[in-house]
Amino acid sequence: MTDLLLDQLTEEALTGRSDAAGEPSWLRDHRLAAFKRTLDQSWPDSRKDEFWRSTPFDRRFDVDRSVVTSGTTGTVVPASITASLDEEAALVRLVDGAVLDVHLPTSFAERGVVITDLATAANEHADLVRSHLGSLTSADPEGTGAHSDKTVTVSDAAWTAGVFVHVPAEVELEAPISIQVHVTAPGAHLPRVLAVLGHHARAAIYLEHTSEPDVDALVDEVVEVIAQDASMLDVVSLQRWDDGVQHLALQKVQAHRDTSVRHLSVTTGGSTVRLLPECDLVGPGAEVRPLGIYFADEGQWFDLQPYVRHIAPHAKSDVLFKGALQGRSRTVFRGNIYVHKDAVGTDTDENNRSLILTEGARADATPFLEIECADITAGHGSATGQIDALHLFYLESRGIPRDEALRLIVAGFFREVLGEIDLPGVEDAAVAEIEARVEAADLDQVQVNDAALQDLG
Amino acid sequence: MADLEIRDLKVEADGTELLHGVDIELDKGKTLALMGPNGSGKSTLAYAIAGHPAYTVTGGSVRWKGTELNDLTPDERAKLGVFLAMQYPVEVPGVSLTNFLRTAVNAVNEEDVPVREFMTRLREQMSELGVNQSFLQRSINEGFSGGEKKRFEILQAALLRPELAVLDETDSGLDVDALKTVAEGVNRLSGPDLGVLIITHYTRILRYIEPDEVHVMFEGRIVASGGPELADELEEHGYENLKTTA
Ligand SMILES: Nc1ncnc2c1ncn2[C@@H]1O[C@H](COP(=O)(O)OP(=O)(O)OP(=O)(O)O)[C@@H](O)[C@H]1O
Ligand SMILES: [Mg+2]
Repeated sequence: MTDLLLDQLTEEALTGRSDAAGEPSWLRDHRLAAFKRTLDQSWPDSRKDEFWRSTPFDRRFDVDRSVVTSGTTGTVVPASITASLDEEAALVRLVDGAVLDVHLPTSFAERGVVITDLATAANEHADLVRSHLGSLTSADPEGTGAHSDKTVTVSDAAWTAGVFVHVPAEVELEAPISIQVHVTAPGAHLPRVLAVLGHHARAAIYLEHTSEPDVDALVDEVVEVIAQDASMLDVVSLQRWDDGVQHLALQKVQAHRDTSVRHLSVTTGGSTVRLLPECDLVGPGAEVRPLGIYFADEGQWFDLQPYVRHIAPHAKSDVLFKGALQGRSRTVFRGNIYVHKDAVGTDTDENNRSLILTEGARADATPFLEIECADITAGHGSATGQIDALHLFYLESRGIPRDEALRLIVAGFFREVLGEIDLPGVEDAAVAEIEARVEAADLDQVQVNDAALQDLG
Repeated sequence: MADLEIRDLKVEADGTELLHGVDIELDKGKTLALMGPNGSGKSTLAYAIAGHPAYTVTGGSVRWKGTELNDLTPDERAKLGVFLAMQYPVEVPGVSLTNFLRTAVNAVNEEDVPVREFMTRLREQMSELGVNQSFLQRSINEGFSGGEKKRFEILQAALLRPELAVLDETDSGLDVDALKTVAEGVNRLSGPDLGVLIITHYTRILRYIEPDEVHVMFEGRIVASGGPELADELEEHGYENLKTTA
């Protein structure tokens, strides 16, 4: 098959691959339409694109790579966090641009749940896939994703390994659906997920990102979820990459009337991660809780941009992101809230907290509110601080050694977020990630804030 | 030599000398009350004993059972049996109270108490000190009232079983019943193995926890010492006389 370069997609190569994969013609046309859009686009430029102002695309992302499609067999994929659960979870493993396998529990299948390769679904569930795939990105010229940048349109054109999930109306899944994205081959990886939850359905989708050590790869991922009326959706995205991975991710949910959506991202791995957990609140009564924790270490750069669009009235959003930094690392939090002029009764709040552990780390926070409607409640806050010397002294004075006290305090900092999530396996996995980071941290270098010491009284 | 020997102790914070040469002796099994007006340096002394990072010892020594405490980190002091019940206990967000206590007990005793055994011990102490069991779900001092924080300090002492307990205004902000409960808690810990340095403004608590000696601090110095009757005298006449003699 023709080699496909991310930076030089061609109609020929895309057509060839679509046909070889047995994709229906509408899907091929869909890809080609996106491809045409990419021709008019250049890669993001910090000077021109405000969403890229803080992260220099050209320095942090290398697009001069060929797209990995081969799949790799015989690799050992790390165990999913769902492996040790009592409930039997669904599991899809995407390795190096191909779907390695799909495990659909019988209890899911019996209730009509579909979890399959997206290319297969394009044939077998054409109606659903056709109406929703790309509807939140560039395929819908009227949609909120119509002006997606090139990092998203290349996915629309050239996505490789894809997963389709359909949870029929009124089906409530107790066990999660885990999608593992594992990278072992260098190059560009374009995983894609489309999930549709019918009305009153309930599901939790875990996205587990891992890679083999020292693989130099770019992962450009797009996840679209349609949550129909009164459904309940949890999305958990764990960025557990090894050092060599650059990760671009759009994880976007369309929330209809009375839906309840939570999104938790746990970002600890990867050299650069730019994560966009987005949610369009298109039905009244919808609620979204975008949550994030992250721990950036030497050389890492995390750019986290939750985006909530209040399009329907009387919807609610509450964003909370907390991050710790050490070494020469950089985090960017840009929380975007848009409130449409008709979205009366909107209730929105947004908060970001950063804990700077050692000198040289830098955390930027920009809450960005675009509000067209007066009749709403909106709040936002951000703060950056260091470990409080008084907290540390309190613990130490009870006999707890300094390094252990620091670990407890850092874990405590994240508890506010993790305390909100009661999904099977998630808290343990997140705590383990954070603890591993603190374990590896150079605690002798930790700076404490003695400003608090001044007002002892 | 006394178990606790503080000699000519000079302490500064933020470049200002706050203690100008303090001498105190205290043996295990004894109780010493430290009184004195606001800002006289009582908490400064307590913090210096516990190793608070904001207070620098610039002269003199604090020896506990023959060891110079100034050379030790706060946790090392705790392992030697030193405990400070703080005047203003801090809230530490997110750090589970149960986890904190268990980590502390294990660290101080250098053992690993099984969770169940620890929880039993903890529940016992909680009910003795009238601390609500629902607090087990909270973070350290999170949402505690002033009085609840003080009880929780004594609860920690009860679990850690120190040999030197410095109680910095543990009685302030306690209602009559709470004062009694807390005092009883301290008395349960007392015995030949515990020295108590109790910092207070009131004689009320001294009716429950009887001091062997009373010291009065004023502007960073001990200016008067005596028996329990000195406390009564101060309560009646205030510190005015001291100011003229100092
Ligand atoms: N970290 C600090 N930096 C500068 N000055 C301080 C600091 N801590 C205490 N001081 C000052 O030192 C003096 C003694 O304070 P300390 O807290 O020891 O008094 P205290 O006797 O405990 O008073 P109180 O009865 O009100 O508790 C006060 O004047 C106080 O303002
Ligand atoms: Mg004081």
